Amino acid sequence: MSSMVVAEHLHKAFGRFTAVKDASFTIEKGEIVGFLGPNGAGKTTTMKMLTGYLPPTAGTACIAGYDIIDNPLEARRHMGYMPENVPLYEDMRVYEYLEYRARLKGICGKSVRQQIGRAMELCGLEERHRHMISTLSKGYRQRCGLADALLGEPDLLILDEPTNGLDPNQIRQIRELIRSLAEHHTVILSTHILSEVEMICGKVIIIDQGDIKAADTPANLTRGLRAAGRVSIEYKGELEPVVQELEAFAPVKKVIVEGTLPGGWQRLIVRAEPGTDTREKAAAVIAAHGYPMRHIYRHIPSLEDVFVEMTRRD
Amino acid sequence: MAESKPQPIKRTRNWLATLRTIFAKELRSYLLTPFGWVILACTMALQGFWLQAVIQTMSKASGEGVMYYLLNNINFWFYFIFIFPLITMRSMAEEERLGTMEGLLTAPVTTTQIVLGKYFAALLFYIVLWLPLLLYPTMSELGNWYTQLRYGIAPEGIIEYHPADWFGPITILGLSGTFFIALGILCSSLTRSQIIAGIICICFMIMYYFMGRATELWGEFPAAPAFHYLSCSEQISAFSRGLVDTRPAVLYLSMAVFTLALTVRIVDYRRWHR
Repeated sequence: MSSMVVAEHLHKAFGRFTAVKDASFTIEKGEIVGFLGPNGAGKTTTMKMLTGYLPPTAGTACIAGYDIIDNPLEARRHMGYMPENVPLYEDMRVYEYLEYRARLKGICGKSVRQQIGRAMELCGLEERHRHMISTLSKGYRQRCGLADALLGEPDLLILDEPTNGLDPNQIRQIRELIRSLAEHHTVILSTHILSEVEMICGKVIIIDQGDIKAADTPANLTRGLRAAGRVSIEYKGELEPVVQELEAFAPVKKVIVEGTLPGGWQRLIVRAEPGTDTREKAAAVIAAHGYPMRHIYRHIPSLEDVFVEMTRRD
Repeated sequence: MAESKPQPIKRTRNWLATLRTIFAKELRSYLLTPFGWVILACTMALQGFWLQAVIQTMSKASGEGVMYYLLNNINFWFYFIFIFPLITMRSMAEEERLGTMEGLLTAPVTTTQIVLGKYFAALLFYIVLWLPLLLYPTMSELGNWYTQLRYGIAPEGIIEYHPADWFGPITILGLSGTFFIALGILCSSLTRSQIIAGIICICFMIMYYFMGRATELWGEFPAAPAFHYLSCSEQISAFSRGLVDTRPAVLYLSMAVFTLALTVRIVDYRRWHR
């Protein structure tokens, strides 16, 4: 089996509340997958189900070919998990904690030290290895949790909000780290920071109110977006003729008059079919009337637009 | 970035090795944090206090061994009941509260290994609590030697200790401990609050204690033998007089196994019904 994760109709209900509805997706080896969604959308629940910690109400998933319900121990041997908020034993030292976790994961002999050394080096924990976990700052706790997930070089890393609570430099470091991990590992991460996902994830799964709305590459997601062909124009002159001429043009769906800006500048938004460029035509129309134009811009759709479009409530 | 080393990672799938890892971590948290030492200090202080009271009693009327007077006393139960919740209330509830249970249950570890690891660590610590008892014969030897040296031979002032006096009481304390520790772990797995776990455990302990005394309250009614069979205080009384019996061993060991099996079920159930 080549897919790292195969989720089949995962369903989780807490009493009457349904947290995740019928989620099916496939994640291939070596992919970095970002889970996106508003708060309470079911990201964490889905991840917890993949780890086998929360048993699904219905459906199942396979990790590296092992079913999380029929063969949970084998599935867990193939993954490293960093829970949200990184729970750690407060009364242990960093090295002790990692050693305990390494042994729990079945690592033994010389490999224990070697694996801890590797994880601490990757996460920049070396100079803190003697510190009590209770004295660590949020950023270092986060690294400690990440180092724990990396022990044993698991095939699959599941990271729940790995950059939560870190400063911009640390976020950059973690991002670089995750990118470098993708050579040997498959990574699933959840985050609120969309730019982050755009930068590192090869695939995005957008989840809202328990439903998987989309699972695709960021480029494919932004392609079919309503916001994709949008052009904004500012010129000085009469509204009526320009609007009429533009609306007569085929790919244009609608021209929205945003209003008059100080100095008599008119601001228009031209909505067109996704993937078309109406700038040339618009410029020609305005030039034909001899009106001065100071701004024309074709909107480049971002993941944020995808996110807003898929998860807004109206 | 770390250079990728080609050597494979050494792994073990030994069931007992993982159990031992959990056991060692738990035992470490008893012995390397103030928590365990506070319990040990309190228990020893109370034992020492009652011991000196018992020796005074014995100087007036002596018939049984020191252990008999030490254990067959309401004072003994006064702290004995509290030992178990103190030792065990943290074990599961704390993992639940910190959220580390999640890390534990997503590692390749079974619930049985977790429960057993914690159980054996708590049981060993409980046994450690009673180890100072073994010092008493040595201490009394020293005392007798001092008495002889200071006052000449004074037979009535010499306390005699027989190994048999120790064998019975230590056996019953160990046996009942196997069940009561399991009961404490069970209570700890019911909640995420240590305090609530401790209170539930104390309630169970008090109920169990008074169940054993039911015959004193109600006399010998038809079901009385069952209550005699369960009565921990009667067993301690018999064992500390040297009447070692195998029935309590069957009772406590089977109850311990049952309680631990129930605990494993509860931990899994709580995960399913979160």
